[in-house]
Amino acid sequence: MTNKLCEIRAFVYDYFKETTQPPSVEDTAARFNLTTDEAALVYEELNQRHAFFLNPGTHNILMANPFSGVETPFKVHASGKTYSANCAWDSLGIPAALHADAEIKAICSQSGASIQLNIKDGKISSSDALVHFLVPFQDWYNDLVYT
Amino acid sequence: MLFFRSEEDLIQWLESKKVKRGAVLSIDQVWELSQRWYHNRMSLDYHGRTTEHIQEIFEELGLTSEFWKAA
Repeated sequence: MTNKLCEIRAFVYDYFKETTQPPSVEDTAARFNLTTDEAALVYEELNQRHAFFLNPGTHNILMANPFSGVETPFKVHASGKTYSANCAWDSLGIPAALHADAEIKAICSQSGASIQLNIKDGKISSSDALVHFLVPFQDWYNDLVYT
Repeated sequence: MLFFRSEEDLIQWLESKKVKRGAVLSIDQVWELSQRWYHNRMSLDYHGRTTEHIQEIFEELGLTSEFWKAA
């Protein structure tokens, strides 16, 4: 990736970290002195490179894994903020990415029972819960929402 | 990737959704995977990873079945 692409990718992740939300294409354009059309093209390229994923047909960031751009049932409380993760794995991915202690609140997909996990000093609390990966790795990016 | 409270819950879910079982990891395994996968994601220097590196991460965690083949 060019330096500009790397800087914009990092900006998107920092924006998520600070606000729990993705930057709009206008936010990114303003930060980098680009026109909205130029920033939109950069978003499309970063989407194509799987640096993050746009909601199809838009320039709205749907996922910058492990962060979700939309509300989900996978909640991660860390550093005084509440993030939405894309899935069970990504709910553990957020504290791993932030190198932060965290409290994860989610539910069992069958029973609806509460699942709570805590990360403290790089260790995870004991749990009998399981994570099911439905789709083999090679097919993960065919349909990310399904994955 | 979804959470299940127990193996019984997972089995019931697979039956209700009529889908095949994929791969099942413990919470400890997913935490290990998360740390290896995401530890440098916030870095300006993160440029993605090669297929070889992905396979290496899976293999380090003992994820060697066809399900985890990166290429």
